[in-house]
Amino acid sequence: MAIEIPKRLEDLPTSAPRWVGRRVERKEDAALLTGRTQFIEDVVLPGMLHCAILRSPFPHARIAKLDATDAEAQPGVVAVVTGEDALRWSQPAASAPEGWGTHCLASSLVRFVGEPVAAVAATSRYVAEDALERIVVDYDPLDPIANPFAAMEEGSPLVIEEKGTNVMMQRLFTWGAVDEAFAKAAHVFTEKFRWNRVGANPTETFGAICEWDPMSLDLTVYGSIQAASFFALGRAATFGLPSNKVNVKSQPHGGSFGGKGGTRGTDIACLLSRKAGGRPVKWIEDRMEYLTSGGSQAWDRHYEVSLAVDADAQATGLRVKLVDDLGATGEGYAAISAAKPLAAFTGPYTIPVAEYDLTLVATNKLPAFPYRGFGPPPHFFVLEQMMDIAARDLDIDPAEFRRRNFIPSDQFPYTIPSGNEYDSGSYEEVLDKALALAGYADLRAKQAEAREEGRIVGIGVASAIEPGVFDWNAYRTVGVPGIGVPEGATVSIDILGMITVRVGFSLEGQGQYTLASQLVADYFGTDIAAVRVVQLDTQSAPPSFGPGGSRLGVAITGAVLGACERIREKMSAVTAVLMQTEPDKIQLLDGKFAVVGMPGAEMSVAEVAGTMLARSDLLPPGIDPRPEATHVWTAAGRTEPDDQGRAKSYLTAAQAVHVVMVEIDRDTGVVEILKYCLADDCGTRLNPLIVQGQTEGSVAQGIGAALFEEYVYDEDAQPLTATFMDYLIPTINEIPPTEQTEVVTPSPFTPLGAKGCGEGAIHTTPAAVMCAVNDALAPLGTMAREVPAAPNRVWNLIRATQG
Amino acid sequence: MTQMRPIRLTVNGVAYEAPVEPRTTLADFLRADLELTGTHLGCEHGVCGICTVLVDGQAVRSCLMLAVQADGANLMTVEGLAGPDGKLHPIQQAFVEEHGLQCGFCTPGFLIAIYELLENNPSPSEAEILDVLGGQICRCTGYQSILRAVHSAAAKLGAVRSGTAQESA
Repeated sequence: MAIEIPKRLEDLPTSAPRWVGRRVERKEDAALLTGRTQFIEDVVLPGMLHCAILRSPFPHARIAKLDATDAEAQPGVVAVVTGEDALRWSQPAASAPEGWGTHCLASSLVRFVGEPVAAVAATSRYVAEDALERIVVDYDPLDPIANPFAAMEEGSPLVIEEKGTNVMMQRLFTWGAVDEAFAKAAHVFTEKFRWNRVGANPTETFGAICEWDPMSLDLTVYGSIQAASFFALGRAATFGLPSNKVNVKSQPHGGSFGGKGGTRGTDIACLLSRKAGGRPVKWIEDRMEYLTSGGSQAWDRHYEVSLAVDADAQATGLRVKLVDDLGATGEGYAAISAAKPLAAFTGPYTIPVAEYDLTLVATNKLPAFPYRGFGPPPHFFVLEQMMDIAARDLDIDPAEFRRRNFIPSDQFPYTIPSGNEYDSGSYEEVLDKALALAGYADLRAKQAEAREEGRIVGIGVASAIEPGVFDWNAYRTVGVPGIGVPEGATVSIDILGMITVRVGFSLEGQGQYTLASQLVADYFGTDIAAVRVVQLDTQSAPPSFGPGGSRLGVAITGAVLGACERIREKMSAVTAVLMQTEPDKIQLLDGKFAVVGMPGAEMSVAEVAGTMLARSDLLPPGIDPRPEATHVWTAAGRTEPDDQGRAKSYLTAAQAVHVVMVEIDRDTGVVEILKYCLADDCGTRLNPLIVQGQTEGSVAQGIGAALFEEYVYDEDAQPLTATFMDYLIPTINEIPPTEQTEVVTPSPFTPLGAKGCGEGAIHTTPAAVMCAVNDALAPLGTMAREVPAAPNRVWNLIRATQG
Repeated sequence: MTQMRPIRLTVNGVAYEAPVEPRTTLADFLRADLELTGTHLGCEHGVCGICTVLVDGQAVRSCLMLAVQADGANLMTVEGLAGPDGKLHPIQQAFVEEHGLQCGFCTPGFLIAIYELLENNPSPSEAEILDVLGGQICRCTGYQSILRAVHSAAAKLGAVRSGTAQESA
């Protein structure tokens, strides 16, 4: 039966929402603050063993010999696995593009530094690491493939020889008459950019406990897993198991940001468990493993971009050529990060035609993984630099140039050239609010004064789109099938009116259990304390993907409200019987089922639930007596991609404008942020406290990417950033306070009008910071084309201008 | 097996005596031997500050200290902050109110570092707060909500000291 999910806050069955739309404190906080939350490393199972992994020190080498006899003989060691066990019991990892996965343990060839070659299960992690030192491996080093352009040349050594090439995918997408637009343009601007590898680095690394029964072959995995059901499917494929033999239970985890990784370590722990007779095997990745061998690295990109602009300063065409170095395999599904820009290719602008020349290349670096934003942040970095290059050349203020090119608010829903449809927006209003908050005219005056004093000061004004509520169809072009991403929830009311929501995902920081509680409390007119949210494992939960692609806030709102609607229908039917009227005469409001037009003829939610569960004598035969329902929500109207990859993919398009002022130290090249202001529009804010937190955190990650963070490799593909002394996560001393303001343009397509907002500011922050850096450098006649704009790079740019 | 050494120490007011391998870190000892898993490990090389605990009143990184070095010491971990009745410490309460945590994994280290700061310096300057928070990494919050929580906690604790605290319902 079709049900209608409330599209506006006003549609909720409450005269005034007490919880939804308010700054509600999180229910999960007390357990986290007192050390009671059970993260995976805190879980201890009877008979549990501990895994340690031996990894390749070479980027590319043949394994001439591997001897684990001494390790096996060490007291406390229960099992050792090598590439032979992986060949016997597992398949190469699933990958995107397909066919670029390898086994979890190398058997004859290693393809990146940190690739696992053997692993030990022992009575403690200390004993397991001792045993690793007793494993002898002889390697014959091969020429490393460290550069994607060299990797594409004829005669290059191959990362995966059977593929016959290092090019994982090459494709030209053309959307509209691009050649014509560029031929007719009054101005064409072309520039090259480099985005170096950055990545997620959640404070908790990956961890898992695996139990693989050698008799039944039932496999159970507990872990710090972002997308449990997707992870379960992957294990079934890797081990050739029926999908219902695999059960995954995700623990609450310490952040994810897309880059939790962990599939190899999990598969290795599974092999060890099977070899150890089914005993549970725990693998906890350490930070060095995470940085060099985990899901830590994303977006290793070389761009060449052209922007066509007409005589009226309208951008009329965009060409983006991208070479993305995905590292040794496609196991991290990083290819989707190159496909996702299709969902917002032309940003917030009316650019009518575009072209995307996309090449994905394999090298002997760590396989790339997703990271917050999943690909658009580097794309918007280059698009926004091009907008500034054009504005500078045409002598138009960068804010004004953007204003002239914004999609007007009366043109939504708006279809962009790459096929996605933006739901709604008020881009000029967002710009105006950001400029007002920053005191833009005053900032420009201050900048002029500073320049008079010889200081290097710049202002960046950047705008970007955050595609929200991801859909698999966005990734069809890189080989991921499917349309729609179902998310389910079961809502149950007990005999005393207490309410439980069951979901298929674990907590990782965005507060969705609190959100689910807010929704249910307002729907049934209860206190938020009367609602409990419980997580189910993949064998028990309704269909679920979990957090990812800025979708879960919207999706779980749809699932929970859908379940509430279904319960309301059942309870209305029961109330109608009890009140001797028709169900359509019963209205739920503020926690009461009341007969319309008969004041006082009403029953509370608890009274109806209690009647359903404890007074069968009052119920008509055949009525469903459960005050419980499950609803599975997925975005409506998603389409099959056409031959150019065009589809309605991401359901929502949030938008933001960031205004940043920076000063560059002429002597050191250090970039200091003097002011950071932003305005954003993510539709209805279901919990503004959480939205603000997501935005502030995302700004910090964006500043890290723009100025500090970089995975450095030497010319032989050896990683040089193996600790937090080398990979620079910003501290509070690098992150300025952000001044925030908002515009609310509800989505017409989503539950309550909310848009995806979890990935948030990282779409805009690197672009805005780099616009500010380049505004500062412009009078010197130089430009930063490489991210991060670290002091050494900026200092060298300034030095080069001094002859 | 390396020779075990007996150590005695007090953690959150409870006395413990346990044999320990000399190479065992204090963090691993607290987590595995004493089952106090509220102390988390973020980097195990002394940068992130997530494993911070108090040893004889001083904040230390428990991943860089051996358990045998804590023989005879008096420790406090995140489990020792809230009252026995479950009432959150004012610093913890400030974190709830200011949304000073998201995933919560780094939070125990922040709480202990802030506790040490406010015990020794009830009215810290902004620079003194930044100096302490600069030793801790958080990947979720962008730190500003944590900064707000420190200011709020200092005010709450000040009110407790001066006897003007309002008992919350």
